[in-house]
Amino acid sequence: MTGATPTWAVGPFVLYLLLIAVLPLFLGRFWEHNRNKLIVAAALSLPVLVYLFGNKGAEGAVEVLHTAFDYASFMALLGALFTISGGICLRGSLIGSPAVNLLFLSMGALLGSLIGTTGASVLLIRPLLRANARRGYSTHVVVFFIFIVSNASGLLTPLGDPPLFLGFLRGVPFTWTFRLFRQWFFVNFALLAVFTVMDRVLLARERKRPRRDNSDLFALPGDDGPLRLEGRLNLLWLLGIVSFVFAIGSFGGRLLGESYLRSTVEIVGLVGLAALSYFTTAPAVHERNRYTWAPIIEVAAVFVGVFITMIPALSYLAERGATLGIVRPAQFFWASGALSSVLDNAPTYLTFASLATGVANAGSNLLSAANLGGLAAHPFGEKLLVAVSCGSVMMGAITYIGNGPNFMVKAIAEQHHVRMPGFFGYVLWSFAILVPLFGIVSGVFF
Amino acid sequence: MIKSVLVCLEGSSSAESATRLAIDVARTCGARLAGLAIVDEPDIRAGAAMGIGGSSFKHERDDALVADARKHAADWIALFERRCREAGVPAQGLEVVGRPADSILEEMDGHDLTVFGRDANFRFETEREDLQTRDAILHRATRPVMVVPDVAEPALGSTVLIAYDGSNAAKRALTSFGNSGLAQGRTIHVATVDDNGARAWEMANRGVQMLAPLGIPASVHNVVSLLSNVDSLFALATELKAGLMVMGAFAHSRLRNLFAGSATHGLVEKSPIPLYLQH
Repeated sequence: MTGATPTWAVGPFVLYLLLIAVLPLFLGRFWEHNRNKLIVAAALSLPVLVYLFGNKGAEGAVEVLHTAFDYASFMALLGALFTISGGICLRGSLIGSPAVNLLFLSMGALLGSLIGTTGASVLLIRPLLRANARRGYSTHVVVFFIFIVSNASGLLTPLGDPPLFLGFLRGVPFTWTFRLFRQWFFVNFALLAVFTVMDRVLLARERKRPRRDNSDLFALPGDDGPLRLEGRLNLLWLLGIVSFVFAIGSFGGRLLGESYLRSTVEIVGLVGLAALSYFTTAPAVHERNRYTWAPIIEVAAVFVGVFITMIPALSYLAERGATLGIVRPAQFFWASGALSSVLDNAPTYLTFASLATGVANAGSNLLSAANLGGLAAHPFGEKLLVAVSCGSVMMGAITYIGNGPNFMVKAIAEQHHVRMPGFFGYVLWSFAILVPLFGIVSGVFF
Repeated sequence: MIKSVLVCLEGSSSAESATRLAIDVARTCGARLAGLAIVDEPDIRAGAAMGIGGSSFKHERDDALVADARKHAADWIALFERRCREAGVPAQGLEVVGRPADSILEEMDGHDLTVFGRDANFRFETEREDLQTRDAILHRATRPVMVVPDVAEPALGSTVLIAYDGSNAAKRALTSFGNSGLAQGRTIHVATVDDNGARAWEMANRGVQMLAPLGIPASVHNVVSLLSNVDSLFALATELKAGLMVMGAFAHSRLRNLFAGSATHGLVEKSPIPLYLQH
């Protein structure tokens, strides 16, 4: 039997998360190439693998194998959702009135939990930008899109956001996230309300200023025909994913056991649905969505390192959780949220879920970080997991780096000539709007 | 005499005013014009904090913004060359890829005068406004610079006010202006602002004497006022109906300007008439 996880084994995980955050800023050209991402991942994974195989022997090998299956399942789901949402295109001439903008953001708030925050963002951002093309100022539309569609919308199912899917892979039941409905509704409703007021005020101001070309602010923006959905067959594949993941989560254990067979079936099923989507979608739809494999390959390259380096880190936190001073739900909400805002929210969720396991264990070893289902069913552990889920998912919106779709939406908006705030400018927006709202959430729910 | 003028092209209305004024200067002095359009690719492609999976979206975004910047540059050059052809002024457009301040400072060494719009935003793809480029040029330029505000009918008028404080920058500005040919046929006034009227008179007189060997007669003004230096100069310019103001730029250190404020900054921000500046 191996002893407690040494502190140094956490180092590669912490360093890797920091490098993911800062390398694009300071060594952008280097980080651009996936080969270099894999080199960094390999360099930091090596000491972890040496520790796992060398110190823990067969136990370490089993952990690595289990993690490999988790990684494959994770990437299969992300890839499937990315492929399916990339095969759906909303077209048509729309006008960026406050009512239409509110409708878009509301749709996004609902869709995020069904097709993932990235999928919902990909589907809705370009039509929304086209609708607002004639508005002189539409920065606020994109900022609130990031807040709502790219982040807060994904709280209700494991498909909504990668952190929740990681939790699902580690045993949190598929329907467990339904209990987050109150927090999801509160935050999204509040953001939609604030947005509506702001949009109307800004539009009223804009109408008072004469336009340079004397055109009508709300003349139809383009000749794109009536509103229509292309790639509708993908809705069927999407339903397939939701049903399949639900079925695997609910019945897979009983039918296939908790072995690697269940994971294999899951991976094959998801890849199959992704393939069906890809080959049944017209190339023109992919072209309009500017669909490429590049983003998902990049995610795959980076997450190899995340999954390997986090193995000892999560064990460490589960062993020592209660001694680190974070013990109450509100603390978990803010701590997981604060880190999720500056580091990717998926590994941050697992970090704090493991910490919560250690806290809920309170000296016993009843709960395991490898099986968060126990934490989700524990009377106190459940409260902590709710806090971690909300913090990780919602506070990913605070900076451009907190969640994958944030920067994607910013980049697409800039291509459409929307003036987006820089990193710190955006943080001012989120501190002015999101942080006070999260303060209320913390007070009311935690 | 000015033989070559560099015009910094950009889409703002003050840049438009700068182009028209530069054409006017070229016609007066018989000079050639060079229109410089800048594609700020380094800033567009600069590293950015992004989430996992953002690299490909950044790459696509960068390519789109660079393409857009190139299109704008080509449009501005085409418009500039057409305007010069219509005015009968020899001109050439030039597109440069690089950081705006560095590109302009490098190009200006080959020309006698550089003209740009006060509100020009050369980093238009990435920033809402661009005070940084303007300040860098005014601090580091080794040749005269003319900053033009957004005016409906840009013209140098028949009266010029030279603000002279005896600094090295002011001396350089006065001398280069005297040699530029822009003083020909214009009424020149030299003014010094000081709490001590006698000292101000003596200083302004020295300025007038510097212009004498160049065959440029000028009037002396000493300005003693409760207003700030900037407001005093504006008041005098308005009184004299000056169409151009000449002065040394950033004569004092940045540290002093930080604590005491900068007259150059104030004048550049507020001046309703073009400014001829030299550091």
